[in-house]
Amino acid sequence: MGSASIAGVGIIPFGKHPDKTLIDLGAEAGYRAIKDAGIDPMRIGAGFFANGMAGRLFGDSTIGQNIFWELGINKIPVINVENACTSGSTAFYLAYNMVAAGQVEIAMVIGAEKMCVPQSGLINSGETELDTRMGLIAPAGFAMRAARYLMEFECTPEQIAMVAVKNRQHAGLNPNAQFQTPLTLEQVMASPMIVDPLTRLQCCPIADGASSVIICSPDIARRIRKPVHVASAILCTGSYGNHQDMVVWETDARGCRLAYEKAGIGPEDIDVIECHDAFTISEILHYEALGLCGPGEGARVGLAHCMGEDKAGGLKIKQNRTAGFMYFPFFIN
Amino acid sequence: MGLPTKDNIQPFAPDIFTLPPDNETQPVLLGGFCPECRDYFFPAPRFCPECLGRIEKKEVGSKGKIYSFTVVRTPPPFGLPSPYGIGYITLRQTGLRVLGLFDPEDIDELKINANVALSVKPLGCDKNGLPQLRPCFALETDKE
Repeated sequence: MGSASIAGVGIIPFGKHPDKTLIDLGAEAGYRAIKDAGIDPMRIGAGFFANGMAGRLFGDSTIGQNIFWELGINKIPVINVENACTSGSTAFYLAYNMVAAGQVEIAMVIGAEKMCVPQSGLINSGETELDTRMGLIAPAGFAMRAARYLMEFECTPEQIAMVAVKNRQHAGLNPNAQFQTPLTLEQVMASPMIVDPLTRLQCCPIADGASSVIICSPDIARRIRKPVHVASAILCTGSYGNHQDMVVWETDARGCRLAYEKAGIGPEDIDVIECHDAFTISEILHYEALGLCGPGEGARVGLAHCMGEDKAGGLKIKQNRTAGFMYFPFFIN
Repeated sequence: MGLPTKDNIQPFAPDIFTLPPDNETQPVLLGGFCPECRDYFFPAPRFCPECLGRIEKKEVGSKGKIYSFTVVRTPPPFGLPSPYGIGYITLRQTGLRVLGLFDPEDIDELKINANVALSVKPLGCDKNGLPQLRPCFALETDKE
């Protein structure tokens, strides 16, 4: 199996874009990625468009083909990827594998979401699955993880909520972030309760946004100004077996382990992490699944970072400045 | 408003719970059992995920402990009450951990590890606004 590199990236500011269609959003991000990579779009061999909600919200299907055509790209294979919140990562995973397998020299991923519309509701999985019809919504699953985490470990709701304070600090440094003003812990705790114990400012908001990544073969990477080698890309699915353990996130830990193995590194080798933070508790659980600290230590790590300590749990942790998704909103991309 | 009678209201999904004819009999969750693997599943799958054998429909439990829960305070789906309680319950009978709503009257008293028992109530409605029966778990009070 060969390898692949990132040749260019593009992103648009996240927020409300009522005058832009989904196609506008995706095309702009794609345009920026093409300019960043400095490649001729005619050389792109496959396109992957990631989106989770447009089918449900607008009845859109095969909209990826429209978006790529806005960039003059057509006739190549285009795959529309819907994998809920993991649509973007899945599209990246597919594009990476296609290039690494030598099927194409350059693949392009565009992800776009338009959620700031009246018909958006809380995220659930539709009308077919039993749990969904019983009333399970995505935020409730995370809230239950938080409730169990608080019960199993010496951790306070405030320690979990500090993740939001930290991420707002980071968002203030990112011009593409939807919300950039700092928050205090008091403001986070005082925001309305959404799903006990998570208050609104501990939950990702909705937004409109798009981003794009161009992936290329090692040959092409040699001619790119600043290629970024992809060490590994992993996709896995959770288990439907019993019991559900809502604190030790088996799927997460398994995915991280596979990624480390494939990349030939461990948590001690990581310098910068861009950590998904759909909810405060999910970022904390990701620290633990990543092996940055032990079970139950994730909240302390976040708090330590906020207080300016460089080391926590014995590991030096630097977080990058995109503020994750909470203020650079995660939605489905 | 008086309680609608259960025989007027449709279950939200078939074969998920028993519907006893009276209020004295405990309703039970229905799941599946693989006679080869000797495993229980909820909800009942079409085939056993382990051996792809045929599944028998079986009762999987009606009482258990709360493993975790939350109260949803935003506009609810399916016309559920607002707020509503939802969580995971570990069933005593089979050890399965299942998702379940909680009795709306109990949502301010829920605690992890509390004992609960299955009930069936009109909770939520279909696309036409007609009420549906959903299973929900109610806190067991110590009986003297």
